[in-house]
Amino acid sequence: MSSITEGEAVADGGEDATAADLVAEAEARAYLAQVMADIDEEVRRRRASGDLPARVERELDSLFLQFSPVAGRSGNMAEVLRMVDASAYIDPVVPVGSAKSGGAVVKKGVRQLSLWYMSWITAQVGQFAASVTRALHLLDEEVTELARRVEDQRVPSAPVIERPGVHGPTSWWAADVPGLVAHAPGRVLHAACGDGWLVRTLAAAGLDAYGTDPRGDRVERAETDGTDLRDEPLLGHLEATASASLGAIVVSGLIEAMAPGERDRLLDLIDDRLAPGGTLVVHSLSLKAWGADDVPPEVDLAPGRPLRPQTWSHLLEARGYGVTLVPGPDGADYLVVAMAGAGVPAVR
Amino acid sequence: MSGSGGPPGPAVHQFVPALIPRDATGSHTLLLRQALRAAGWRSEIFAEATHDELAGQSIPVERYAELAEPGDVLIYQFSTSSMVADLLAERTEPLVLDYHNVTGPEHYLPWEPATARRAADALAQLRQLAPRAVLGLADSPFNQADLVAAGCRRTAVVPVLVDYDRMTEPPDPRVAGRLAARRSAGGADWLFVGRLVPSKGQHELVKALWAYRRLYDPEARLHLVGSAPSKRYLAALRAFIADLGLARAVRVAGEVSDASLAAHFQAADVYVSLSVHEGFGVPLLEAMAAGVPVVARAHGAVAGTVGPAGLLLGADDTPVTVAAAVHRIRSDPALAGHLLAAGYRRVAEHSLDRSARAAVEALAPVAGPPPAGTQAVTGIGRPGPGPLTVAGGLR
Repeated sequence: MSSITEGEAVADGGEDATAADLVAEAEARAYLAQVMADIDEEVRRRRASGDLPARVERELDSLFLQFSPVAGRSGNMAEVLRMVDASAYIDPVVPVGSAKSGGAVVKKGVRQLSLWYMSWITAQVGQFAASVTRALHLLDEEVTELARRVEDQRVPSAPVIERPGVHGPTSWWAADVPGLVAHAPGRVLHAACGDGWLVRTLAAAGLDAYGTDPRGDRVERAETDGTDLRDEPLLGHLEATASASLGAIVVSGLIEAMAPGERDRLLDLIDDRLAPGGTLVVHSLSLKAWGADDVPPEVDLAPGRPLRPQTWSHLLEARGYGVTLVPGPDGADYLVVAMAGAGVPAVR
Repeated sequence: MSGSGGPPGPAVHQFVPALIPRDATGSHTLLLRQALRAAGWRSEIFAEATHDELAGQSIPVERYAELAEPGDVLIYQFSTSSMVADLLAERTEPLVLDYHNVTGPEHYLPWEPATARRAADALAQLRQLAPRAVLGLADSPFNQADLVAAGCRRTAVVPVLVDYDRMTEPPDPRVAGRLAARRSAGGADWLFVGRLVPSKGQHELVKALWAYRRLYDPEARLHLVGSAPSKRYLAALRAFIADLGLARAVRVAGEVSDASLAAHFQAADVYVSLSVHEGFGVPLLEAMAAGVPVVARAHGAVAGTVGPAGLLLGADDTPVTVAAAVHRIRSDPALAGHLLAAGYRRVAEHSLDRSARAAVEALAPVAGPPPAGTQAVTGIGRPGPGPLTVAGGLR
């Protein structure tokens, strides 16, 4: 049953297993794989029926985080400092309770005998702790003031810009996207997905697609058919996503409004999260459309402005992508199709 | 130290930071001593601390220096940081590391910084001792990989020694009665056994139970058995349970006796583990021994321990998937029967006699052939309170 190895790990071989045992185990594994496939189908059916939308499960996660300690994701400095203050006092009077008969008396005796010593030690430790907490409070005040000054200079996050006819199932580029990402080596993400129009198109084409959008009300209204849509900003979502875990990322209505710093951070994240051979599809309004009268008011409030298509080529080729540009029919928008690993994407 | 638990001859002694009853490492240590003695080796347990219930079963670790004899082989039961590691690092006897896994500090950090520090210390001690060990014993291939990464040159997989028959022994009648009264109201009983710490994922179980009650069985209950070393996590878990309106459906039973544990297993409809870190997962096999089907997320060593005897979920499967898996077992008697039969076979593969013989066989190249032979290692049972007779020690 055991197997000794020099320098390398090997699994417990179970050397007394017969060929019949191995066949039986293979059959059992196949049976359980079928059961698991049935369970996955049941989960899909339940989600589609609206019995328990994915959003509700995410709310469960958020709810538990509310109860996690201040050092966790929901922590804040003021609460941490309150805890530090509370724990800075060290009580030299040790509790003497005991479940054993006579235990409390013995403990009380030991406490009385050692109290002079404990008091001397705890007074010094307490003084040290008080100095540290004072320093932390001063640091907190400094950081709070710095944060206020930074807030005054804050560049707002990019809003989602949607223009009728350009974003939606009837747009000129919507029908092309499934073909562009058909061979994606993993899940396809659409940001900002709105009501999920492109996610449904991709799913109908047999692709494993999901969407994110920072506009929670849009996502919540659209999620009733079980489509995997998430109420999350794109940057936050990608930060929580594993490296090389996405087969394709489609970004529309978002990147043209980003400030340069935010856009660079997004591209860094996309570089890391796209699997080798993955595809990035960027849809952007053109500068010409950006200045038109019929754009939404968010355009005036956006921290960034669209890049020219050739600037996208320059940016993405420098990052090692193979890039193809597809101009829109009336010059109002364009598509950038980039393949990670310098392959050149096939575009009709 | 002749006369210490056996005839004169080679000695294989064990060292453990704390000898605790109803603890996987503590029970393993006691059972391994029985196996070592049955094989003909002299064997004692040296412990830094010993629980009152096991008083007389160990020798204080500081006494080894005066009791040591040429030819001793030392086994260190490694699962946490301890001064025992420092002591053994300075000894020259052949050292065997029996590694039961250390939960990484990252699993404790947001909740218990002091415990995280101890976990980091334990991993540092593992890296210190592993290169000097003549053999590393691991409960699972998962743990074996840790040993190799720490620098252990020679390793073997030997399952942890557990008496799974305990799960079918008569249950505590009072606990069994209380559980039966609750079952009379209908609804499935979920069970999980493990310390209440974030890495064991009890909060994930609560989420899954909430989904299961909403989708399939509004009367279902969850029983959480195990000690609660993290008061913060316990408080958060209780608040979470209350906020979801599950206070009457989730019972935090705490640490229980063997008879109470048997009652919980015998009253359970399904054993669900959503732990994110397991070095072996003894309760998974205990559930199988008790005839309880298993649903588990495949983290750490779980997949290797469960094998084809349970429903293994993906590491990231959501509460709805867990709920659907439990529902499938509850509504598909053929599947439940298949899992139970496979579970009994799995337990037989990890039977106490078989694991004990494997341990003795693995030690033979280091300690020399067992004087009584490996076939003598049978009938190892629950550790009794047999007195120590250490000549020159324990006077």
